[in-house]
Amino acid sequence: MRILGIDLGSREVKIVLMEDDKIIKKQKISTMSFYRDYCSYDGKIIVDLDKLQIGHVDKAISTGYGRNNTDLNKFITINEIKAHVYGAFYQTDLEEFILLDVGGQDVKVVKVEKRVSTDLELNDKCAASCGRYLENMANVLEISLDEMSKYYENPVGLNSTCAVFSESELIGKIAEGVSLDSLCAGVNYSLYKRLKPLLTKFKGRKLVVSGGVANNTAIIEYLKNDYDEVIRVDDPQFNGAIGCCYYGSRFLK
Amino acid sequence: MRRIGLTTTVPIEVLIAAGYHPIDLNNLFITSEDYGKYIDIAERDGFPKSLCAWIKGIYGACIENGITEIIGVMEGDCSNTKVLIEILKQKGIKVYPFSFPHTHKEEDVEQEIKKFMEIFGVEYEEVEKVRTRLNKIRALAKELDRLTYIDNKADGFENHLYLVSLSDFNGDVEAFENELMDVIDKIKGRKAKKKKLRLGFIGVPPMTGDIYDFVEKFNAHFVYNEVQREFAFPRADKAANIYEQYYDYTYPYDIEFRLKEIKKQIKERKIDGIIHYTQAFCYRALQDIIIKDELDVPVLNIEGDKLNRLDARTKLRIEAFLDMLSDLKEEPK
Repeated sequence: MRILGIDLGSREVKIVLMEDDKIIKKQKISTMSFYRDYCSYDGKIIVDLDKLQIGHVDKAISTGYGRNNTDLNKFITINEIKAHVYGAFYQTDLEEFILLDVGGQDVKVVKVEKRVSTDLELNDKCAASCGRYLENMANVLEISLDEMSKYYENPVGLNSTCAVFSESELIGKIAEGVSLDSLCAGVNYSLYKRLKPLLTKFKGRKLVVSGGVANNTAIIEYLKNDYDEVIRVDDPQFNGAIGCCYYGSRFLK
Repeated sequence: MRRIGLTTTVPIEVLIAAGYHPIDLNNLFITSEDYGKYIDIAERDGFPKSLCAWIKGIYGACIENGITEIIGVMEGDCSNTKVLIEILKQKGIKVYPFSFPHTHKEEDVEQEIKKFMEIFGVEYEEVEKVRTRLNKIRALAKELDRLTYIDNKADGFENHLYLVSLSDFNGDVEAFENELMDVIDKIKGRKAKKKKLRLGFIGVPPMTGDIYDFVEKFNAHFVYNEVQREFAFPRADKAANIYEQYYDYTYPYDIEFRLKEIKKQIKERKIDGIIHYTQAFCYRALQDIIIKDELDVPVLNIEGDKLNRLDARTKLRIEAFLDMLSDLKEEPK
């Protein structure tokens, strides 16, 4: 049984193909390019599976940022909370945990008990606690996102609420001669501080982290102070797409 | 007939035998169009914002409706009720005490009910006569309950509304009996409405009555209302006397005793998931820890405060819970 899962994120579209519950293909395409180069529109969005070199699939499931643009022809759409929780089931085998998913524009915190979501919190109005903020700040520092994410010691204080003001605040710190290590740690710590109010309601022992921001080592380090165990899934960015496949293989008739 | 206010279910048989007209202040509060006014009255008189809305509503309802006598439940209810009663007493309202003893021993329950009968000057035989009369209506409530979980004809809200009303028989035993008979007749004539998910509602009756309709949008329905059912005394027919009836009653006693009955009903009613409702600032929210540990089915804890409708966040939580619960039901075992 070949199952295709597509997670349409704000920055990238993640595609996972599973055969008999094993991942056989993973692919990331920028969201812009996905719609422009791999889709056509005829009342509904039609995905060109041949062009994606996917071939035959038995079931196709999609999820993503906002419901409308995830409505692909011949795809079953599931909500992204469910997709990410199911992705975590596949990747961790846990049944009770708190899931923190931080993507390019949105944050989800979901409490899972007995394999069902019992509480959740989503960011609204503002996306300053998301991946896009880290990207912008790395650009200001003129280093790669990966490099920036390694630093967590001696963070310089960055206190702006707004992501745009944060950039000028960071430039001010550069002008003061603060070391690059501290600047990087400061950026990472400021994101952690924005996540914290969302997480305070979610006390628990095990935190599973997914989404692109899970690749940020510094944030994982900070989170370790708040939970007994912080688990970064193996494929954090593909978690939603994996969850789609999991739904397809387990529940979809 | 003299009116007497109740803050929770008490041996109503004694009060009716004594010629009283009992009124459940909870029902008076929540069924009122301007229920919010009752809360405001309490807050103006100094009740804190961070206090259970039921306590404030009961206070407002009591003052505003000119209730001059109440039963004060000194044991078996929360400590907020205790102080509420002290405040009402200070306001000149006459308070008759009653307790559901913490020991939960048959002889202690008997002792308390005997004291209660003595206060109101009624004999055991008179009370039993009223009990026999009320048991006929309790049997009707059981029938309505069966129409909910066996026949799938009565909906969750009807089940909630009629069972909870048995705490004071809507203030008029005869009229309530007739109403119940009519409703049962009407419901019997309906077609069964089967939903995929069977839910249980546990905890205090909700401020947010729209939860019953809301879950139906997601192919789910409530087939069990724990506390409302207890208010209707479904095991009254098995009790040899009034003492046994109020001994075999879960609401005011410990969580362990409550859970025994809940577990039995989950099995009997084939319940897929539980919604545990608690009131903001209530100690019962802590019981959620034990409940989640003890029950095998998924449990969602939701909290209500002053609003009598579900807020957007709670709706989203319920939706996500039911969505995944529905998947789980499909999963091959």
